[in-house]
Amino acid sequence: MDTQEHVKFKDIYGNRGRRLHEPVTEEEISELLTQARREGLHVAVESGGTKRGYGGANEGYDWTLSLKKYRGIVEHNAGDMTITVKPGTTIAELQRFLQEYGQQVSLDPHWPEQATIGGVISANESGPKRLAYGSARDHVIGLRVVYPDGRIIRTGGKVVKNVAGYDMNKLFIGAMGTLGVISEITMKLRPSLKYESLVLVSFPDGEEEKLRKLAVDIQDAMIEPVTLEMVTPKLSEKLTGTRACTLLVGFEDVERSVKEQEGWMTHHKPENAVLEILHKEDAEKFWERFAVTVPNAHAEEKDLCAVVKAGTKNMDVFTMMTTACDLGTSHLVDIEGHGGLGHGVSECVLRGQEGNVTAVIKGLRAEAEQKGGYVVIKHLPYHVREKMDVWGRKPGHFSLMEGIKKAVDPHGVCNLQRYIGGI
Amino acid sequence: MLKRKKQNKVDPHIRSLIKIVGEQEILYKPEDLISYDCDGFTVHKALPKAVVFPKNTEEVAALVRYCHMNHLPFLARGAGTGLSGGAIPLNNEVIITLVKMKQLLHVDFENRQAVVQPGYVNLKLTNSISDKGYYYAPDPSSQYVCTIGGNVAENAGGAHCLKYGVTTNHILGLEVVLPHGEVIEISREGAPDIPGYDVMGLLTGSEGTLGIVTKITVRILKSPQGKKTVLAYFDDVEDGSRAVSDIIAAGIVPAALEMMDKTAIEGVEAGTFPVGHPPDIEAFLLIEVDGIMAGLEEQIDQILEVCQSWNVREVKVAKSEEERSRWWANRKTGFGAMGAISPDYLVQDGVIPRSRLPEVLKEIEKISRESGLRIANIFHAGDGNLHPLILFDSRIPGETEKALQAGTACLKACADVGGSITGEHGVGIEKKEEMRFIFTDEEIDAQLDIRDVFNPYDLLNQGKLFPKPSRCMDVKKIVRDTVAVQS
Repeated sequence: MDTQEHVKFKDIYGNRGRRLHEPVTEEEISELLTQARREGLHVAVESGGTKRGYGGANEGYDWTLSLKKYRGIVEHNAGDMTITVKPGTTIAELQRFLQEYGQQVSLDPHWPEQATIGGVISANESGPKRLAYGSARDHVIGLRVVYPDGRIIRTGGKVVKNVAGYDMNKLFIGAMGTLGVISEITMKLRPSLKYESLVLVSFPDGEEEKLRKLAVDIQDAMIEPVTLEMVTPKLSEKLTGTRACTLLVGFEDVERSVKEQEGWMTHHKPENAVLEILHKEDAEKFWERFAVTVPNAHAEEKDLCAVVKAGTKNMDVFTMMTTACDLGTSHLVDIEGHGGLGHGVSECVLRGQEGNVTAVIKGLRAEAEQKGGYVVIKHLPYHVREKMDVWGRKPGHFSLMEGIKKAVDPHGVCNLQRYIGGI
Repeated sequence: MLKRKKQNKVDPHIRSLIKIVGEQEILYKPEDLISYDCDGFTVHKALPKAVVFPKNTEEVAALVRYCHMNHLPFLARGAGTGLSGGAIPLNNEVIITLVKMKQLLHVDFENRQAVVQPGYVNLKLTNSISDKGYYYAPDPSSQYVCTIGGNVAENAGGAHCLKYGVTTNHILGLEVVLPHGEVIEISREGAPDIPGYDVMGLLTGSEGTLGIVTKITVRILKSPQGKKTVLAYFDDVEDGSRAVSDIIAAGIVPAALEMMDKTAIEGVEAGTFPVGHPPDIEAFLLIEVDGIMAGLEEQIDQILEVCQSWNVREVKVAKSEEERSRWWANRKTGFGAMGAISPDYLVQDGVIPRSRLPEVLKEIEKISRESGLRIANIFHAGDGNLHPLILFDSRIPGETEKALQAGTACLKACADVGGSITGEHGVGIEKKEEMRFIFTDEEIDAQLDIRDVFNPYDLLNQGKLFPKPSRCMDVKKIVRDTVAVQS
């Protein structure tokens, strides 16, 4: 195990410890947490470190427990289509390994070369293809978790269907590392896709309503898109060179089926809209570019940059995107947004002056909350974050969450105050 | 005068419960309670204190608050189709049955959501939205009678969860009455990934031990453009199970992949929906693919090819929706059909890694031989979820116990190859002890710690899910007590 003093302890994103530990075995993780608990220390848990700007009311911790070096495949059962991996394995590494077997984890989070499966599970990340395949939560079938007192607890199992006892996996997925350290993840796999294409439909200024209508028609039709992602003009320009509101409609199936669905799209192209179809490698490359358009804690940014995630009803994503653009214009904030009209998760990158950026975030949050949704801040430097409420309104059942934290981590060893309501 | 006297004899708790729900909505006389002494798991029986039929969330909350304040054990019940005894009132519980809260409250096609009350029957949802081309995916075999509230409690699966996932993957929001009577709403509008610990995920499948669900927002799906269903007959069970592995290995994600062995086929052919399976075959596979029509032929060709490579005797594709429905009715009524060939049967629910199917089937055969009881196998082969049906006659002394032992042995065989003791029926009271096959005491304690957060007084569905004595501390205490007695 590597241990060293952190050179950049006071990082702009916070969530760092004075001392960095990089365990390479589960026993080491357990020993570290046991020692931390004994000595009353607080530990920041991270793996790829891309999400250091995500949550956290603490600028610094006593230790960073990095899982970067705790990586690799533990067990792959090709016939059962399950895999067990260590948390520090990057998404790209995992997909490359599985490609040889004609299999994949159907997750498309940002930054596959940097983001690790441990981080993706801990933040319950997903990408546009969530529409067809679900989020991290839908792929995990079992975990090994080092509890904050050093105990090693298995949750779930290694089979794809299992209701024995409580579904404890759910507790740790999306818990932002506040309930212990996930030391092994077992997931179900899918076969590699046989053929894919991506239909881009762009709409001229002022005709955005037509995008909404097209999305409704697509969902009502007998076609099965894997993405129905709305992209705001600025992001679209970055990805395609054309500054226009765009709908990304992806298809994955056998070639005949994909072609037929492309046919439907061509036939139903709204007047004045521009339609382009990318096939196979071209579609794949597009998604690769898409995955790295959002900043993370490793990237240097000139201006203040924030990333927010909103969750709303599916079609309210449309309003969230148009509201973001309007707020951006009125507050002089650059907006790059995208959101799934079939799954309700949207994301916005905001660049501008601090006061303007925070005003836009507040505006977006008000809009989302009014629709029964929420906005959380996924990426923001600590000095701004400490003045903002990262997680938004506490839910009515927050006391249960406090109870869970207290039951699992009574001494606040792991990622203290990283999560909603300071848990 | 006489009436008042009679009223005075009634247990004061019953009188208070009547005040909450009204005289028409409660059963408390022993003769009325008999039909509530068990659910679909009939080995254990006990009478409840009363059965109440609340009509809305407020009444559920008032009932729960009353039970909480007065330390009365209570539990929630849907249609009572559970197969592991989760709704059996072992502690003379007040049963809060949700069958009168059975409305479909709202359907939002544009956002693909429906809001239902817990007593709403699973299949009714699909039936009410199918004219618009939509359906609700989780389809347990009992879907024509089981309730969505019960499905949430059990995290119910079904034949088509291989491709579409189980209940937990289709729940967007819940309204829940907590064990002390507080009402909470999780994601009222069904927004995804709401911030905070996934309490909704934890509640789903908690077998009614963490709260009582009073409103459910579910995801509805667009019906696939096409469906193709294949029936393949095999002379050797092992050939059939190898075909299962190869279909999956070919990169096909079937919507369903079901298997039945010879004894099970004998049962379904003697049952209500026979389809004329050849009497001498050893196993059949029922395989369904769905999606865009243009892509289905290719998958069907691949499936036929795989079956042929594993010496299939006969393989056919359903020619009409009517034929397809008959095949499914035959499969979905499989458990009940066992009644036609055996006075009693016990259903088990193990899960194994799919690739271990042949060896586990051999082990089950051995258990059958050694116990002298016939075991029929009906299973969701695609996801490795086995349902051995142990046939027995409870009138023969000792045979019920023998059947229970054989069931436990089947689960042990599943656990031994890295599987689970339940894929969709739940632990209930049936498999409490078998929890130890797959979890350590420490891991069971970790789950109990969570139960205590929600249900600290353990009044809600007491004595379910976890083995007894469940806590390491309890064990130590018992050991201490024993030592004290001995000394």
